Amino acid sequence: MTDGGSDWSGKIGEVVLGATAADGGTRKVSYRVGGDDDLPFLGGCTSGHRPLVAYEICDDPGLWPQIVRDYCGDLVNDPASWSKAAEREYGADLIRLSLTSTRRRGFSDFAALGKTVHDVLHATGLPLIIEGSNDPQIDSEVFQQCGEAGQGERLLLGTAEAGRYRSVAAAALAYGHGVIAQSPIDINLAKQLNILLKEIGVPLDRVVIDPYTGALGYGFEYSYSVMERIRYSALKGDQDLQVPMISAASDSLNIKEVREAEPAIRDEMAVRWEFYAALPAIVAGAAIVVVRHPGTVKALRDAVEKMWPGEVTANAAQGA
Amino acid sequence: MPLKALDIYKLLPKKNCKECGDPTCLTFAMKLASGKGDVTKCPYLDEDAKVVLGASTRPPIQLVRVGVGELRFGVGDEFVLFRHEKTFYHPTALMISVSDRWTADEIRVQTRRVASDHLVRVGADLRLNGIAIRNDSGSPEAFGKAVAAVEETATHLPEVLMATDPAAQEAGLASCGHFRPLIHAATMETYPAMCGLAKKFGCPLVISAPDLATLSDLSKRCTAEGVARLMLDVSPSSLADYIPAATLIRRLAICRAQPEFGYPVFLDATRYGNQDTAIALGILKYASVIATETLPPATLRAALTLRQNIYTDPQKPIQMNPGLYPIGSPGKDAPVLMTVNFSLTFFTLQGYLESARVPCYMLIVDTEGLSVLTAVASGKLNETLVKESLKRFDVGSSVTHRKLIIPGYASPLSGRIEEETGWKVLVGPRDAAEIGEYLAQEWKS
Amino acid sequence: MPVVTFLPGYRKATVSEGGTILEAAQKAGLQMNVVCGGQGKCGKCIVQVKSGRFSFDSEKFGRVFSPEEIASGFCLACQATVGGDVHVIVPESSLIQEQKILIEGLGIETEFNPSIWKYYLELTPPTLEDPSPDLTRLLWAIQKKGGPVAEKIYAPLEVLQSAPRVLRDSGWRVTATVALVPGGYRLIDLEKGDTSKNLYGAAVDLGTTTIVVYLRSLVDGKVVGVASNYNRQISCGEDILSRVNYAKKHGLEPLQELAAESINQAITTAANNASIDRDDIYEVVVAGNTIMTHILMGIDPAYMIEEPYVPVVRRYLTTSGARVGLEVDRDAGVFIFPAVSDFIGGDIVADILSCGMAEQEEITLMVDIGTNFEVVLGNKEWMFSCAGAAGPALEGGEVLFGMRANPGAIERVSIDPATLTPSYETINHEKPRGITGSGLIDILAELLRACVIDRTGRINTSIENRRIRTGQYFPEYVVAWKGETAIGKDIVITENDIKNLIMSKASVLGACITLMNQAGITREQIDGIAFSGAFGNYINKENAIMIGLIPEVPIERIRNIGNGAVAGANIALINRKKRKVLDEIARNIAYVELNAESSFMDEYTRAAFLPHTDLGLFPKVEKFLDECRLRSREHP
Repeated sequence: MTDGGSDWSGKIGEVVLGATAADGGTRKVSYRVGGDDDLPFLGGCTSGHRPLVAYEICDDPGLWPQIVRDYCGDLVNDPASWSKAAEREYGADLIRLSLTSTRRRGFSDFAALGKTVHDVLHATGLPLIIEGSNDPQIDSEVFQQCGEAGQGERLLLGTAEAGRYRSVAAAALAYGHGVIAQSPIDINLAKQLNILLKEIGVPLDRVVIDPYTGALGYGFEYSYSVMERIRYSALKGDQDLQVPMISAASDSLNIKEVREAEPAIRDEMAVRWEFYAALPAIVAGAAIVVVRHPGTVKALRDAVEKMWPGEVTANAAQGA
Repeated sequence: MPLKALDIYKLLPKKNCKECGDPTCLTFAMKLASGKGDVTKCPYLDEDAKVVLGASTRPPIQLVRVGVGELRFGVGDEFVLFRHEKTFYHPTALMISVSDRWTADEIRVQTRRVASDHLVRVGADLRLNGIAIRNDSGSPEAFGKAVAAVEETATHLPEVLMATDPAAQEAGLASCGHFRPLIHAATMETYPAMCGLAKKFGCPLVISAPDLATLSDLSKRCTAEGVARLMLDVSPSSLADYIPAATLIRRLAICRAQPEFGYPVFLDATRYGNQDTAIALGILKYASVIATETLPPATLRAALTLRQNIYTDPQKPIQMNPGLYPIGSPGKDAPVLMTVNFSLTFFTLQGYLESARVPCYMLIVDTEGLSVLTAVASGKLNETLVKESLKRFDVGSSVTHRKLIIPGYASPLSGRIEEETGWKVLVGPRDAAEIGEYLAQEWKS
Repeated sequence: MPVVTFLPGYRKATVSEGGTILEAAQKAGLQMNVVCGGQGKCGKCIVQVKSGRFSFDSEKFGRVFSPEEIASGFCLACQATVGGDVHVIVPESSLIQEQKILIEGLGIETEFNPSIWKYYLELTPPTLEDPSPDLTRLLWAIQKKGGPVAEKIYAPLEVLQSAPRVLRDSGWRVTATVALVPGGYRLIDLEKGDTSKNLYGAAVDLGTTTIVVYLRSLVDGKVVGVASNYNRQISCGEDILSRVNYAKKHGLEPLQELAAESINQAITTAANNASIDRDDIYEVVVAGNTIMTHILMGIDPAYMIEEPYVPVVRRYLTTSGARVGLEVDRDAGVFIFPAVSDFIGGDIVADILSCGMAEQEEITLMVDIGTNFEVVLGNKEWMFSCAGAAGPALEGGEVLFGMRANPGAIERVSIDPATLTPSYETINHEKPRGITGSGLIDILAELLRACVIDRTGRINTSIENRRIRTGQYFPEYVVAWKGETAIGKDIVITENDIKNLIMSKASVLGACITLMNQAGITREQIDGIAFSGAFGNYINKENAIMIGLIPEVPIERIRNIGNGAVAGANIALINRKKRKVLDEIARNIAYVELNAESSFMDEYTRAAFLPHTDLGLFPKVEKFLDECRLRSREHP
């Protein structure tokens, strides 16, 4: 009934995140993700790279989970300092900057986005993922600004969706960044989006799949299997799916279990709720997991250290 | 590869005799192919066909039961490596540890907590499955007392007796042996004695070995001793080794290559210095029984929820719980948007509503996971359901107005819903992406 | 009671106060276009009230109108109720117009094996020496003429009651009609003189939308007349679901009567054209979908549209013309094709009979596309079938400028990839009024070739061309400028239209692939694809493959069996041996319930891409698309 062994014909392609001085950027580290030729954790340390933990910050905390605002205090009002803390205190491998300001009605201060990106890049040496607008009307301006501000840094720009991928793809191509391709929990839709990107000229070594991750207990069961299926099909030889995955169960901190937890254990609940979705995502094949509670970063780094068969610092791409 | 209906059909007698209860051999073949048929219902199968068709119906992993009575659980009886291929059937059992170094009182408190700790979410009752009693003292007598303390507190809780010394096991089994505890664990050194105890009390037995070759050998020996219900403890030295070992066992079991691996897997999560990671890996990757230390409340909730997620049938349409879901902090004049409980519909609409930043309520009605279009077409979504849902979730007391926004695809029902509920029905857009604009332009409470 | 006067034409009808204009129109015999069955959602039954009191909830149903139009009395006939005498203008576009209906030489080959015979008999009158009874005399004469053995013929009382008069009045020269019915031979008619040539049968395709009738001589099997017309039930709702819902509300009777009347109308036309008396029609063979045949037989179809979707009967049925209201010989036998399931009806069994699938080694994929689609895959050893809703898009419904195959409908389109200028053909070469299904498929394929749309069907609005623009809600492509059209508006195809079309075609392709998976066969193993129904006749096969409506097979393997339902009915009419195997064919077709088949959703999603997510299944299209893309990069 099931594939008996691991006679795979496919391999996940590699995507490089972040550019160091050697590559014309200013990141102090750059990563390779992907490269796996077996199911997660089955191929030994030669199969792929260590999974990465991204910490997500935003430029407009009004739309951010209360628990993070309480925990991080004033930092949330200053993306640059916040990213610095993520690097030095929380121990993140990389930063995801969510430009929540663009979600405000009538948003038009595009220049401010460029400045924020610039400031964050200045404050941290980690590679940067940017989550732009979710409104096709302003996509073009937003991604143009971010792309330009991060020129040469090999950012990962998000999010391309089947209904709106041209703007983000154009910015990524123009300024040398990667693209996050998000589809709603469906292997076929994920594949279709990759094809769309490919057909307008985005090479798949610039693409990372975001299969959409529902929070634990809120659709996660579906996301988990979709990630497994994507990995499986890719290894079986489906070239359109041979790209690394990123998983962000972004709703984790808004769900009832966390919101209604007793104050004494609320942070712990937040961390566990993120952890118990992010770790399974890694086991299902995610190369990058994104979390919002600082405590989760450490928990995941510890877990990966226990699980990863090789040296934990092994996937910096410099000189590789 | 599963057999296709036509492949099976070719093996059938093609008599269309209807004795299997199906009108034709072809429809019977379709049922077999989808795993819903029973091949033995065909009285005219030849021997070759029986071999081909019969082989795929026996579970490749032995079902092993632990405990007695209502809380008894069964594990194993799985068929696939990935849950998307079919489903995972028997959820991982979580067993909370007590030590025979603890005082009887400490043991009782822990036991009572395990017995009463359960949460209810998404209609399911999530519980811990039992107690793991550890022979940390090394003394058979202390172990016997600890087991007795658990027994007198909650006789009905399934137990794992974790002692490497057969003498300690015997002391423990003296008080609980007849309640079918799990014996952990026989090794190459102790298996004859452990097998004797397992047979004497009719208990399932965990076998433990440092590598798969030894485990295979040990499994065969125990079977030869006459113990039929085994579990396998691969005892990986690190968590990095767990996934490869557990995956290999599952693979060998389901392809029936090595029947000695056709048993459930046991994982002691306390040995790796990171219990959360061990529990998560165990649940995800084929552990049928996990022994852990006490779980803090947050871990407990998250781990049990993960287990529920992984053991949900992925073939079923993903359903949301019907109910009234607030978006933002809606007031008494906030709009109410009705939609179905197909979870993708739910998540999509929820996403757009959140980004629209109009506080409102989502009224989720139970269409058994069907999307709006199919629910309207099949009649699952109808005015009666809407009326009942308005009542059941007491929507009338959450808002003061009486207006209901329904999905664009449900517009044929608008008149009937109005008639049946007395609420004014506004037909929303077909595409959830337009909901923000729709609310901005159309909504006046 | 208020009188509603319809202009132009001044047809009048009375309805009770509060009755709808639609009701009045139906009473007045106007065939209004009511796609949704009068629920106010399709927006097709537009009328303009010129004078009189009426009420219309424009807030709820008036979305299709501008405020000016509302002010000048425009409304939907199905939702506007009258409060007194009114004068109503009915625009031509709100009426169902004469449609291209598929009638063609059927090219069927089958033995002539009728089940009814006429014998002209010149009897010796009885004498004292030869006093045998009239009946004995009659039956012996039939046997002597080569008919069935006398003892095996059953003579019903009605015939016996009229026999002595007919025999004597005719001077012992009569024509006897004998039919083979379940249970044996039956003397069904006795006529004076020689009427032996006047023996006809009707083969009927009872479609949801159209009725087609073939009249054949049952003396030699030849076609003597053909006619078709709309199923008059359309006034109770266009699709089958709205019909059943109508029956739930108003009872089955009106629908049953309309079905019989529709058949009668077609039979009358055909009979008149051939100068045949309808009473000389002794047999009627009907193939129709399960709901239609249930309705015709007066059997409640209500439980077929609810879970668990159970028909009352599946096997073939026989009755007499009189019992179902058919105006043919009152004892004429009516034979109803058996069904496979509620969704795979006698029309599909007839398709299979006519395409020969059940008799060949070769594997055929038979596809019948309408608002609902049916797919059957198989050969003489096995057959799998499934059915589903394709949505009306492929027939022009739910598409802004979609229309049926009426005069003025754009039915063929090609687009210059460099200038994006289309050239099109319309039905009857009239100025364009809209686009038919075949035209829509052409446009989709051509826009894909020209790289105007991506493979999800989204229009690339960054292309600078005046035909590509953003409409009120969606991006759109202009097919015809308003100056060229008969409707004074630009005819466009919107991104939303394209989405609907892709969803429709994905259902069909997903269903085909689901059946192929059940059988475990690849596209290369398909020996032929047979399109049944009007749809297949008009579409461009290459474009159908280009967009992925059906699996890619070499073009020469695709054929149209045309109206397979009526062809099958013809075969069964003239060859009784085929009639006998129908139940067996129907029983041997396994039905795959797509809703219960978990892989179907996956296959649907994979197919909801142009032509399919996996281009490996469409190697020729892949090559072609690569070329198109190269070309478009060279000439951006």
